[in-house]
Order: sequence, then C-alpha cells, then structure tokens
Amino acid sequence: MATPAAPRLMLMILSAVFAFLYIPISVLVALSFNESGLPTAWTGFSTRWYGELMHNSDITSAALNTLIVAVVSTLLATLLGTLLAIGVEIRRRKGRFLETIIFAPMIIPDIVLAIALLSFFSLLDVTMGLHTVILSHVVFNLAFVCSVVRARLKTFDWSIVEASTDLGASTATTLRRVVVPVMLPAIVAGALLAFTLSVDEFIIAFFTAGAGRDSITLPMQIFAMIRFGVTPEINALATLVMAVSILALTLSQRLNRGGLPGQ
Amino acid sequence: MSQTFLSLQNIEKRFGSVRAVDGLSLDIRQNEFFALLGASGSGKTTLLRLLAGFETPTGGSILLGGKDISRVPPNLRQINLMFQSYALFPHMTVFQNIAYGLEMERAGRAEIRRRVGEMLEIIQLPHLAKRKPDQLSGGQRQRVALGRALVKRPHLLLLDEPLGALDKKLRGDMQLELKRIQHEFGITFIVVTHDQEEALVMADRVAILKDGKLLQCASPHDIYEHPNSRYAADFIGVMNFLPGILQRDGVRALDGSLIQAGRPAGARDGDKVVVAVRPERLHIGARKDGNGLKGRVVAMAYQGLDLQLHLKSDLSPDPVLVRLTAHDAESNPLSEGDEVSLGWAARDTRIFMA
Amino acid sequence: MQDRKPVYLMAPALGWLTVFMVIPCLLILALAFFRRGIYGGIEYSFTLENLALVFDPLYAGIFLKSAWIAGLSAAIAVIVGYAAAYAIAAAPARRQPMLLFFAVLPFWSNYLVRTYAWIVLLNREGLITGVARLLGYDAEMPRLLYSEGAVVIGLVYNYLPFVILACYAPLSRLNPEIAEASRDLGASGWKTFRRVILPMTVPGIATGFVFVFVLSIGNFVTPALLGGGQFQMIGNLVYAQFLTANDWPFGAALSMILIGIMMGLLTLQTFATERASGARREES
Ligand SMILES: Nc1ncnc2c1ncn2[C@@H]1O[C@H](COP(=O)(O)OP(=O)(O)OP(=O)(O)O)[C@@H](O)[C@H]1O
Ligand SMILES: [Mg+2]
Repeated sequence: MATPAAPRLMLMILSAVFAFLYIPISVLVALSFNESGLPTAWTGFSTRWYGELMHNSDITSAALNTLIVAVVSTLLATLLGTLLAIGVEIRRRKGRFLETIIFAPMIIPDIVLAIALLSFFSLLDVTMGLHTVILSHVVFNLAFVCSVVRARLKTFDWSIVEASTDLGASTATTLRRVVVPVMLPAIVAGALLAFTLSVDEFIIAFFTAGAGRDSITLPMQIFAMIRFGVTPEINALATLVMAVSILALTLSQRLNRGGLPGQ
Repeated sequence: MSQTFLSLQNIEKRFGSVRAVDGLSLDIRQNEFFALLGASGSGKTTLLRLLAGFETPTGGSILLGGKDISRVPPNLRQINLMFQSYALFPHMTVFQNIAYGLEMERAGRAEIRRRVGEMLEIIQLPHLAKRKPDQLSGGQRQRVALGRALVKRPHLLLLDEPLGALDKKLRGDMQLELKRIQHEFGITFIVVTHDQEEALVMADRVAILKDGKLLQCASPHDIYEHPNSRYAADFIGVMNFLPGILQRDGVRALDGSLIQAGRPAGARDGDKVVVAVRPERLHIGARKDGNGLKGRVVAMAYQGLDLQLHLKSDLSPDPVLVRLTAHDAESNPLSEGDEVSLGWAARDTRIFMA
Repeated sequence: MQDRKPVYLMAPALGWLTVFMVIPCLLILALAFFRRGIYGGIEYSFTLENLALVFDPLYAGIFLKSAWIAGLSAAIAVIVGYAAAYAIAAAPARRQPMLLFFAVLPFWSNYLVRTYAWIVLLNREGLITGVARLLGYDAEMPRLLYSEGAVVIGLVYNYLPFVILACYAPLSRLNPEIAEASRDLGASGWKTFRRVILPMTVPGIATGFVFVFVLSIGNFVTPALLGGGQFQMIGNLVYAQFLTANDWPFGAALSMILIGIMMGLLTLQTFATERASGARREES
C-alpha cells in the first residue's frame, strides 16, 4: 500500500514503537555484560556472568534437557508436519474440518492444551518426564512446520511430480528425489522455527514434565529464578536464550523467503 | 466555440530521472470531450493524476478557469477522476458509494437521497442500489464508478481507460453511453485510452502523447487526414509507408521510380523520407496524374463489405495494404497471385522525415 | 500421485493430533461434568456444579478483573499495533519487509525473557527508578512492579508484534487508488481514514484484539511475574485448580469458558471480516 500519510508522523510512530519493543531487551543485554551486575552502576564490560552460568549445575542440566526436548520434538514434528503438508496440498478437495484440526494447535491457548495433556497423561497413569514433554511439543511444532511447508507448496510446480511419475518413479521415490529436495529450504525453515518454539516453550512443559527435578527444562528453570527477582546470572542466561531464538529465526527467514508464518 | 477552460502550461513531472510528463502545454475548452492517446508509459495516467491533484508538477502550471490549481489538494478540486481500477469502496453498497462524495460536501440527507436516486436512474442501476461492488458485473461496476464521480457535478471529469476492462460489445455500448451522458451533463471529459478507434468514435479532439511530450492535438479527422509526424500517422488508423530519398523533383522510391509528394518542413535534397498513403486512398488502375505502384496480391480478406488486400511491392519492405470498396472489388475480380497496378491522388500523399 | 495417496501422508500427523490434542481436549470437556473427589481425585458421576460454580459471585470478581485487564491490554495493543502497521505499510515498498521483520522479531524470543526484561526495568532498584533518581527525583517512587499497570504493559509488550502482523496484512493489501478515490470525492485525509481505510482493515484489528484478549485472559505467567500474585486472572485460577487446589473438574470447566470466549470472539471476528470485504455472497 502507499497509504496517504504524513511522513513525519509515520517516522515518529515507528521510532516510538521500535523503542518500546527494543529498549527493554537491549537493557537486559547490556546489563548482562556489566561487571558489577547492578542495574544502576556500569562498572565495565565483562563476560563474568556468562562464566558463572556454566558452573551452575541447575542451569546446565536444564539446558541439556531443553536441548533434548527441542531436538527430538523438532525431528518428529518435521517429519510428520512435512508429510501432512504434502498430503493436504495434493488433495484437491479442501476440508474445513481438516483445516480446523491442523490450525487448532496454533490457536488453542497454551494453558488449555497444557491441562488437557496433564489430565490425559495422568488418567492413563503415564509417568511424566521429558518424554511426555516431547510428545506434547510435537503437537504444536508439527502444526507450525506444516504451515511453513504448505506456504511454500502453494507455489510448487506439481507438474514436476507428474514428470517424475511419468518417468517411472514410484510415489516414495518421487517424494524422496523430487519433492523433498525442492522443498528442502522450507522444511529446514519450518524445523528451525519448531526448534525455537520448543526451546522457548514454558507452559506446556511446566504441566507435562512431572514433578521430578531431573525433567526441568530451561524455561522452567528461568521461571523459577525470575520469581525471586533480578540477578546478573539471569540477565546472562536470558541474553543467551534470546540470542539462540533470534539466530534460529533469522536463519529460518533467510531460508524461507516466503516470510514468517502468519505473514 | 467556447473559450479555454483548462490550460496546461509547460507542465513537467519527473520521478527521479524519468520525465513522465515533459514540458506539455495544452488548452481544453468547456464541454469538450477530449481524448489522450499514447503508447504504454507515455505519461497519460501521470497527466490525469496531475490534474486530479495526486501528483504535484515539478514544473509549469495548471490553470482551471484562470486560477492556478497545481498546489490545491485533490479533495478541494472540483475535478473528479474515474479510476482505471474503478476503486469502488468494497465495504459500501452501490448507494453508499455514490452518496459518499455528496456526504463530503455536507449535503442534506434528503438531497443526497434525491440526487443518488437520479444518478442511479441515469446509470440504469436503481435495482442494484443495495448490492456491494463484488456482487456486480464489470460493466455495472464501471457504471457505479462513473455515477459516483458524476453525481458531484464536477467541472471536469477525468477517465482513465474507463472501458479497458470491458468486452468489445459492451465497450461499443458504453462509448455511446459516455457520449450521451457527457452531452446531457455538459461536463468537460478527458478520457485516456489505448484504443485509437475508441478515441475516434468518442472524442471532439485527440492529443497524442509520446514519452511525456505532446505530439499532436487536433480533431480526429484532422489527425487522420493531416498527421504531423510518422508516429501520429501510424498511431491513428492504418497507413502505408514507402521509404525513399528526397530529390528536387519528388521522392526516389526503393524501386527507382519517382513519387510526387510535397516536402517536409526543413527537409533538404538527399534526406531520407517516407511517403505515406492510407489504404482506402489506393485505387485499382494507374492514373495519369498522381502516383502509382505495382504489386502482387499475397493475401485478401473481407472486412465487413470492404475487401482488404495485402500486396508485395518493390516500393516497400512491408506488405502494402489496400482497402477496396465492395463496388471496386466487384468490378475488378482479383485472386491471390495476381499482379495489380494501383494509383492514388497527389492530394492523398503525405510525407514525413524517416 | 493418485487421490488416495494423501491419506497415507497425512495419517501419522493426524493420528498424533488426535491422540495428543483432540482426545485430551475432549477429556477436559468431559471432566468438566464430573464431581471432584473428596481427596482431590475425580468421582465419575455427572454434575453441572462445576459450570455453575464458574458463575458463582465468588469468582465474578476474578472474571471481571481478568476481562478488564485483558480488554485494556488488547485495546492498547491494537491501537499501538495498528499505528505501527500503518506506518510500516506507508513506508517505501522495498523497506517494508525489513521493518516488519524487526517488528516481529521480539515475538519469537522467549516469553519469559521478554517479561523478565520488564522486571529489570520496573523493579525497585530497576532502571526506571535509577533514571528518575538521576534526574533528581528524590521523593518516594510509586510502586511500578507488582501492579496492574505492570501486567498490562507486560501483556501489551509481549503481544504487540502479533497485532502488528495482523493489522499489516489488510493494510498492505489495500489498493491505494481506493484511498485516492475518497480524496478525489472530497474527503479529507482524516475522513478517508475513518470512512474507508479503517472499515476496510477491521479484520486485522479484530484478529489482533481477539488473540491478545484470549491469550491475556488465560495467562498466568505475566500476572505471577509482573503482578506479583496481587490479583488473579482466569489463567491463574485454572493453574491453581490443577497444581494446588487439586480441583480438576472445576479447572476443566474454567478452561471450557476460556475456549468458549475464544470461539465467541472468533465468530464475531469472522463476521467483521465478511462485512469489511463486502462479501455476503450467495454461494457459500
Ligand atoms: N510513482 C512513480 N514513480 C516512478 N515512476 C513513475 C511513477 N508513476 C509513473 N512513473 C513512470 O512514468 C512514466 C509514465 O507513466 P504513466 O503511468 O503515466 O504511463 P501511461 O501512459 O499511463 O501508461 P499505461 O498506458 O501503461 O497506463 C512511466 O515510465 C512510468 O514508469
Ligand atoms: Mg495508465
């Protein structure tokens, strides 16, 4: 659009909004490098707090748990989500019910899904731990992978599939040799997105991880820590977590010029 | 003739390094139906947008009734534009679309109802007043767009390819319709079109634009009969071009023969020129006065009652087109491969610099 | 590929969603109609008590408070987000993707971290207090953190990027000639905005509002962290039923209400979208 607009007003709005969005996290990042660790006095640049993180076994074990959850659930979700996306796009008939089911994980409030899964697991007497977190994370992750891959499939030239079949390839071969290679950037983009979501996810993990100390994920650890106020270590940890998400997301965006889901 | 109403004086509009409109001067009279014709990118839309107030000229001035309006914002000009895309408000009904401009004038509710009602009659859509734009056909939308602009009774109505989206039959009807409405309202119309035939049917005067410059501005008949350049001659109607070298006693054609023609202004002996003649001015049989050419018939096709011939001739690298009336065609039965001699009068001969 | 192949491709994912989403959600629905056991378990006999309890005056306060905070947050987020989306859509076309990317980037970083950033700013020894002192403000600072205002700021901050995205979509699709047509017909810039641009972009506003409202009213993290447990939202109530009070049927009933609110609002939003596009076509 070229909306009629007063350029100066627009510039003011943009500056104000971007300031609002970025000042809080910038302050956080800056403080994480403050030698004194105090918000009020800058005593010099230091990576000291990052060092301390490494010696906090609660944090390192939570980070490891998060990595396990994120990697496993991303792999599973990427496989399921990609197949789902291809299946849905091949079908010419678009079912409203199907669309709702696929879309639902992205819009159900986290807390509802969280308590639903908690009730489900406990009624079945499943012992909860990292594995139940993984099972749960796959639910929304596969929906996001599916939406990214589907967006790419909308511009996919299906005639190359027909060409491959015409040349004698089976459906499986066609998928493996033709569809997946062409779709690879979108699939990786979807996977990176799923990875970020899983690394950052708190509520569902909180409800489905069970009571054990050994299944605490990083967001759960952060939640526990920040309830008790500001410490330099949390600043450093928060900066790291943010850096990981932003890196993965930027990469995802690069790979997938179609843009972020929802865009 | 009524006097000048809108005057463009040496208008220029630059977008960065592109001169979309380049030093254009033009006078338009009251109640005139004026057509702007030109190839894609020649600056037609830009010119309309300058008049409507969506662009400010980078040079020159626009006088409406003697007052310079080039800095007046679009909502304060008594000029309305009918957009190429129609730009109907999708969230409003036909009635609301038409009423919108009157509401902006703070017209009373009763007056709005009356004037919109009248307009709906004129555009013949009273039964569709409650529909929304996406429930209308292309022709109906076009009429709503027209009604929405007309209901404000502007001094000047600008139409950007108003009939571009319509099929051929509907176009013909709407051309007459536009003409009728223009007559009825006594409003000055400036219409942009790609289609030279459309311009010839509707317009009192036509301006031909090329690269943002005005090439020629005259009545359709004058441009047809006396184009001032090869480009204008080519743009309006069909024309045969015969290249040659200018000599003291005429034009030496490709086959070495001499064609009788005037000389372009400022031309000198030895200059490259083209001789031009319209297809319907070519007649079968050599003439004593005037000019002639020989050719072989390579194709023939009926266009309505007329017969159109394509000739291969030594005078021109391109096929020569001839248009014979039914009467001429009957008295001279021809078939493909025949050799024919054609002649044309000296007064039908035009000449341009190549 | 023939038409029956898609089923095999879709089956694993659909199976997963059925087992780990559809069934658990149905379970919650069922749970809402069972009795709470004496020791916090579930007694399998049908009752409407849980749903009735939701409308008990005891909880009316929490509901009103939650709705007020969620509504306020959604309203502020929509106003700010719409303005930002408008400004992005008015920027030169080649700069828009970058602006949009940076507007949305914070949305994809950790929710807790973003909330924590406000704790850093607002706490008693935080940056804002520090800056106020530096500027010579010596009197007692009002409490910034652990207040309603802090919760609203936190919610707006967290969901703003989403609203920007939602509003940008219809704004960027707007045909600029439509706004020009309005100007051409005599409307001022403001009138054009109010009568044409705003009504045509209502769907984005509605989407933004619905999501911020629903996510806020069901939130328990932000009230806990920025509200300091001063007051409860429906989300906190649900949280408590499952993790401390151990009244799962009531918790289930509460989350049914959440879903109900969301569906109701989404229906309204669909209605708004249809109105704005002008289409109530005869064919479906
Ligand atoms: N906003 C703009 N920015 C930059 N260049 C422009 C802009 N508007 C028009 N131009 C350029 O000005 C020239 C004239 O454009 P204009 O749209 O007036 O042509 P037109 O005669 O209406 O063409 P068409 O018949 O295709 O509609 C073109 O070269 C075009 O690229
Ligand atoms: Mg144009």
